[in-house]
Amino acid sequence: VFSPLAAPRQAPSKEALRQLCRECFSSQPGDLGPLTLRLCPGLAAGPEEAEKLGAALHSLTRHVVYRGFTRAEDILALFPENFHQNLKNLLTKIILENISAWRNEAQASQISLPRLVDMDWRVDIKTSSDSISKIAVPTCLLQLQIQEDVALCGNSPVVSALTVELSKETLDTMLEGLGRIRDQLSAVANK
Amino acid sequence: ADKISLIPQDFFAELCEQIIQHLNHKIPGINTAELCQRIQTSGIEINAGDLAKIANIFSFLFSTAARNNLSTEELVITLGNAVSTLPKHALQVIRHVWNEQGKSISVSEDARNRASVGQFVDMKWKLGVAMSSDTCRSLRFPYVAVTLSVADPSGQVTDKSFEMSIPQFKNFFRQFKEMAAVLETV
Repeated sequence: VFSPLAAPRQAPSKEALRQLCRECFSSQPGDLGPLTLRLCPGLAAGPEEAEKLGAALHSLTRHVVYRGFTRAEDILALFPENFHQNLKNLLTKIILENISAWRNEAQASQISLPRLVDMDWRVDIKTSSDSISKIAVPTCLLQLQIQEDVALCGNSPVVSALTVELSKETLDTMLEGLGRIRDQLSAVANK
Repeated sequence: ADKISLIPQDFFAELCEQIIQHLNHKIPGINTAELCQRIQTSGIEINAGDLAKIANIFSFLFSTAARNNLSTEELVITLGNAVSTLPKHALQVIRHVWNEQGKSISVSEDARNRASVGQFVDMKWKLGVAMSSDTCRSLRFPYVAVTLSVADPSGQVTDKSFEMSIPQFKNFFRQFKEMAAVLETV
């Protein structure tokens, strides 16, 4: 799988290689060939080789993130013996630079319940309505922006808005529940 | 109407009870999803959507009857042709419920019912740690999962679930404390 990388025809620029690694990590197998050809044209002989190369980089970067490697030795050990020395070191350096960002990306795109993306709120006082002429009821209007599971939506995330009204009583109930979560978090953190 | 005949008498009575209690503002919403689950467990095949529609129909029927101060007989007449399609046990329940509680339904709806948005009913939560995933063998990612129960203006309660990271949760909590503080001063 590494053979196309072992003897590159034309050494790509550091920046191009960096970008290629990033794109290969984030992209799906089908897109890797054209991506490689576009970003590092000298690296592969043609579309087939580009596809293999892209796939190799995709696997390599994903494997490093999966195993949680943080040391250069662990990454260097993944390359075959006769691999081009400079390229190996350069790739390892690039990977180390990007591990933390890639790990966050992996966490963000893992399967989960829908995620809270944003929240807005407003406090109103209802002063009158068609059935009662004079009242002064403070209420809270809350709007939550919730994004459906990223793994299901792929590149076009679906965000739905949930608008909820809370009275003082229901807000207190909510606060009580949230307080209990906070207490649990502290208890777990202290273990 | 044929769906109504699927519902056993005691479940139908419970549904009508909940509707009346909701109209009386004793409960914030009608939990059709939960009722549907129990009906399904007893072996009846009915889906939540149909049950919700039935709840809506009777909610409308009872509230209209309350507003017009209808007696039980007048209510039955309002049902009109539908009476013949309704199963006997359902009609029995409607008569009984209306006889017992029809007059008690307060017609004046208070300010809360004017909302065109959902009313918050309940929040359930869970604190979890995602240990591992197909992308990261050692993930150890703590999160808070929350389910909000919201009642829409017709009384249907729906649940919405979502996740938050810990920093997001802390911000979430802080916002609610701010809301409470503002509500106090207003």
